[in-house]
Parts: sequence; structure tokens; C-alpha cells
Amino acid sequence: MEQQIAELTEKIAALEAAQGMSGTINSEIFYWWCTALMIAIHAGFLAYEMGASRVKNVLASGIKNILAFAFMVPTFYFFGWYIYLAFYNGFIPAEDGLAGLPWDASMGPNLADNATGIFWAAFTLFAATTASIFSGAVIERIQTAGFLILAILLGSVVWILGGAWGWHPAGWLTVKWGYHDVGAAGVVHMVAGFFALGVLINLGPRVGKFNADGSANAIKAHNIPFTITGLMLIIVGFFGFLGGCIIYMPGEQWINIYGQPATLSAFAFNTLMGMAGGIIGAWVKTRDPFWMMSGALIGIFCAASGLDVYYPPLAFLLGCFGGFVVPMVAVALEKMGIDDAVGAFPVHGIGGLIGVVACGIFASGYPNVIEGAPPVNFFGQVGGAIVMGLLGFIPGYVASLILKAMGLLRVPDHIQEMGLDIVKVPVEAYPENFIPGPVNTTDPVATPAE
Amino acid sequence: MNTVPFESWDGAEAIFTFADKPGVVMLLLLGSVVVTFGTIVIAAMHEKHAYSNHK
Repeated sequence: MEQQIAELTEKIAALEAAQGMSGTINSEIFYWWCTALMIAIHAGFLAYEMGASRVKNVLASGIKNILAFAFMVPTFYFFGWYIYLAFYNGFIPAEDGLAGLPWDASMGPNLADNATGIFWAAFTLFAATTASIFSGAVIERIQTAGFLILAILLGSVVWILGGAWGWHPAGWLTVKWGYHDVGAAGVVHMVAGFFALGVLINLGPRVGKFNADGSANAIKAHNIPFTITGLMLIIVGFFGFLGGCIIYMPGEQWINIYGQPATLSAFAFNTLMGMAGGIIGAWVKTRDPFWMMSGALIGIFCAASGLDVYYPPLAFLLGCFGGFVVPMVAVALEKMGIDDAVGAFPVHGIGGLIGVVACGIFASGYPNVIEGAPPVNFFGQVGGAIVMGLLGFIPGYVASLILKAMGLLRVPDHIQEMGLDIVKVPVEAYPENFIPGPVNTTDPVATPAE
Repeated sequence: MNTVPFESWDGAEAIFTFADKPGVVMLLLLGSVVVTFGTIVIAAMHEKHAYSNHK
């Protein structure tokens, strides 16, 4: 009898261990595929930017976007992950963040750690998303070196600092103010949008965008269908992005980034409803397919902060509101003399702002993070939105001002007129010249190895 | 070159190459940092050169 009990106990222990490891591996698999899907965001932004560029700049725009992805990976390894783990109290690093330093035993293949690599990868793709958001705003006139410095600052420092403050169970914004932003409307979209705005002020418009009297000219995208397809790809990628915003707990209910119970079903309801609302709102306002697909993104961001708790028709209405209002912000921005080539600030900055504030109105009172911390509340959300806006805008403005003074920001006007591809890129986008328009017909004399 | 940081798979944790040689880890890390940021310097030089070729 005793022997049978011992055998049974041994079998139960083995089963528990197997179930535990199965859960751990399922968690790894889940974030692996979220990361893969998020690469579609970058692919989408690539198509979007290249389509929105004129033929003479299409490859330079593509190169810039690809490089943003490439530089985000090592720099997020060098210091981005550490910033997330260490700076949740503000600007003073906490000791438990040391595990994020690149020489730590967890920052490479480690049989005792199935989590760090996969979470680092997902966060790296969030970083790449912020860089891509910024990248679109500055097409056709930013220097590559200046762009890379700014993209690294945004993707591997600034947004992740906002993430540590407001997208971390111990972040000071969440613990002290009750800030709630499960889908990263503030920490990703607002920060990136406001960062782009800060840069745009110093970068200036593309040559020919504005007339002497301040009126604006339309600089037409060379391939609207490509741009629209890119936007749809971004939406596909956002299902990976938002999947990466919820925490898989083997054997238990999912939790949100703040440690409160949530379901992936909630995310599915509200992401799709917000997206649909955004398309409809933008269609009603503009009838423009470019804005309809941007509206899909706006709708997701407008619902993002409360994806875990919203009643789906609320997400839909928030999306409709954002999709209708944000195109007007784009028009106002242009009237102010700011050339945001793809509407990055209105779509991400204002879309994210609506999302963060809406959560304070419609999800007020929901418990947030640890017991004793304030619940979700309007003032916490408004305060959090101000912090995210400033956290994006100030570094973007100051860093671009410094780069401008160093001559590393803006492509000279005569080069812009000539086109960046013929100057910097050793191949042609459309060598058979089947696209009507100002295609380069001379042999490229670009310096190779951009 | 012996890059293996453990004697046996049993109980092994950090298994990446040179995990038991912090000096080499730091050297590789430093090399990656230099390449990453050095490339940006090269990009700036390349651009200046390209622009000066198209006055």
C-alpha cells in the first residue's frame, strides 16, 4: 500500500512537472507568434511609407524604414530592456533592473529562463513600431544618420521609459495615479506621435509643400493602393501587438500588464469593434480610402487603453469618434505649417490621446494594479496623457534641434528637388519606367552602400 | 576554441557561448556597440559625400 502511494505521488509530481513545462512552452510559443505578427506592422509601415513617397524618393524611404528596424534590435538589447526593468520609479534606476543589462545570464540562451528572450523580443517589436510611426512623418527630407539617432532615442529610450512608468505593474503612474493603458495608446502611440511632432517642427516641410503665403500644396503619394495595403498589413500586425499586451499565465486566467485578470476574448471584441468604428467614422468624414484605413488604426487606439473592460459597442463608438475627428486635426496641423507626410501625429498622437482620456471617462473605478493603489480614474488618465505627451515631445524637439544645429537633420533643398534615390541609392525603384511621372531616367550615380 | 561554458547538460543554465568568460562577453558586447554606433557615423559621412557629389 505504502509503495503504491509512493508511486502515485511520484506520478503526480511527474505529471505536474510536465504540465508546468507544457504551460511554459505554450507561453513561449504564444509570444513567439505575437512577435512574428508584429513584424507585419513593420512590413506595413514599409509599404505605407514607400507608397506615400514620390517615385524619386521611394527607395530612400524604404531604406530608412528598414534601418529603423535593424537599429532597434541591438539598441533595445543594449539598453532598452534594462530601462523597462529598472526605471519604473521615475529617473532613478531600481536594483532589480540589473537583470536587463546585456551581460546578465538571462540575456542569452539559458535553460533556466524561458521568459526573458521572448518578452525582450516582443518589446523590441513594440520599439520598432514606435520608430516606424515616427519614420513615416519625416519621409523625403530627413538625413539617414539624424533619423537613426532619433529613432534609437524614441524606440530604445523614450517610449520604454514611458512603458516603465505606465505599462508596468510597479510603474509610478499606475501605482500612484491609477493610470490604465492596457493596449498602449499612451505609452506607444502618444509618445511616438508627440515625438514626431517635436521633430517635425525643427525638420521643416518638404520642398514645395507650402507656398510663400502659407497655403499648402498636395504632395501626392506615388502609389495609393500600396499605401492602403500597407495600412491593412499594420492592422494584421496589431493583433500580434495587442496579443503581446496580455500576459499568458500557464494554468491560470490571463492577466493584463498590471496583473489584473483579463481575457484575450475581451481584446478580440474591442479591437475589432474599435477598428470598424474608426473606418466608418473616417469614411463619413473624408470618403478617402487612405483615411479610412488610417481610421481603422485610430479606432483601435481610441479603444486601446480599456480593451480589457469596455463593452464592445463603446469601443465601436470611440472608434467612430476618433475616425471622424482625427482627419480634422491633420487639416489643422497643415494650416499651422507643419508637414506630417502620413499623418503620424494626428493618427497616433491624437488617436492615442483620445484612447487614454476615454479610459478615464468610461472605465473609471475599475481596480488597477496592487491593492491600496488608486483605481482607474479620470485625473490619473489625464495626468498620464500629459506625461506621455511631454515625454514624447520634449526629447523629440530637443534632440532634433541639436541635430539641426549639427547639420545632421535636413536633406538640403536642392537634393530634395533632385530626389533622394538618385543621390543616395545605387538602384532604381522602377527601372523600366512603367510608372508615368518624374522617374529618374539618367544612370544612377549614387554612392553605393547606403 | 572552447566556447562551451558547462561540463554537462545536467543542471546547466546559461548555455550561451563564453557565458563563463565575462571578459569575452564584454568584448563581444563592446564590439557590437561600436559597430552599431560606428555605422551611424559612417552613414553621416556617406550622406555628406553623396550630397557634395550633387551640387
